[in-house]
Amino acid sequence: MQQTTGQALEVRLSAYIDGELGDAERAELDALLARDEDAKVMLEKLKAGSAFGNKAFEDFLHDPVPLALVRQIKQGPGISPRAERVATANLPAPTIRVWPRVTAAAVALLLLGGAVGFIVGSTQYVAEPEGSASTRPWIDEIAEYHRIYSRQKEHLVEAPASDGPKIETWLASSVGIGFKTPDLASKGLNFEGARLLVVDGKPVGQLVYRDREGDIFAICFLKGSEEPQTDQFREDIRDNLGLVSWQKDGASLVVVGPSSHAGLRDLAETVAASI
Amino acid sequence: MRPAAETKDFRRDLVSLLPKLRRFAMTLTRNANDADDLVQEACERAIARSHLWNGEGRLESWVYAMTRNLWVDEVRKRKVRTGGGAVDIFDQSELRVEAVAEKAVYANQLQKMILSMPEGLASVFLLINVEGHSYRETADILGVPIGTVMSRLSTARLRLAAMLSENTERRA
Repeated sequence: MQQTTGQALEVRLSAYIDGELGDAERAELDALLARDEDAKVMLEKLKAGSAFGNKAFEDFLHDPVPLALVRQIKQGPGISPRAERVATANLPAPTIRVWPRVTAAAVALLLLGGAVGFIVGSTQYVAEPEGSASTRPWIDEIAEYHRIYSRQKEHLVEAPASDGPKIETWLASSVGIGFKTPDLASKGLNFEGARLLVVDGKPVGQLVYRDREGDIFAICFLKGSEEPQTDQFREDIRDNLGLVSWQKDGASLVVVGPSSHAGLRDLAETVAASI
Repeated sequence: MRPAAETKDFRRDLVSLLPKLRRFAMTLTRNANDADDLVQEACERAIARSHLWNGEGRLESWVYAMTRNLWVDEVRKRKVRTGGGAVDIFDQSELRVEAVAEKAVYANQLQKMILSMPEGLASVFLLINVEGHSYRETADILGVPIGTVMSRLSTARLRLAAMLSENTERRA
């Protein structure tokens, strides 16, 4: 307990708010507050400042944390954040590289005319972009979808959780994969509902969850994938998002959430065991 | 030597702490770039010294104190480099607003207001009012006497109340 006798009133009342005073001093201030209007006003001012400051500081927690640092801490020394970033984080999706080629093809069509232009354009469009094997385009697209949809306050999902079993029927028939919506309440996640996405021309089911802090997490799954089938978990980071992906029974699955969330892999393991 | 699983837990706890650690660092540095550098340095040091963490109390208190010490060292170095002498910012009796806080541009108006508070106020307010540390813990983390913690806290609360009032009047 602190002794504040003799100090400025705001200092004493501040300690009073925090319960840092002994019984005698607290009783003294109780009596003062009962009879002195200025003291009451001061107390209210201190409380108002506290409430306002709490709100302001809450906003700081939504800022992204340094991603290279997250990886470095998770994976231990010997990992170079810069090398990691080059190796796995935020590589451009192949579709981005295709556009200049399509544009070039369109110009060629205009200049050279019908058949020749069409052949040039088609050939260039289907050309395999360099390095596409390592970019994991479906993961990139899932991250982009998540980044956009998770900001939707009123239209976070297409089918709300209240639709219950209808969601499973709808997504199973659309995606071609039977599944059970995982109950992640034990992980502090509340099921919000679902969406149907399209990635690389394939339907993707997305189950959306929200934690107590309002952060959005999603489980996405699609039938098959061009990646080699493995039940090993793989972690990727795309800007402020972390993605843990794996394959199971001919389906590709990924859990998406804030990269600063330390339990993303545990969450993926729970999902893998229950979906 | 600390067992592997325990080390893994320490790292995991440290990652979980990052958003809060960065917020604390922001109250010290009052600009995002310095805060990120400081957080990185603090985490590297915490991992290197994780064998010294006894698992008792709050991990954040231990890491915060480390972060604060690193920042005081950094400020000292900067002051020496710029010829201002080695003055511990937390030992200064006069509170002042640094130009860096005024110049910083942050998207969030509330954050901007917080970071414009005179040196030393935001850290005390964060630790006690927002994160629930006791006066004693706060004094230990920041390396200042409890009396300083108390006076800075009440000053911070009154400044925030004034900001709220100005904000309300501006909106009206």
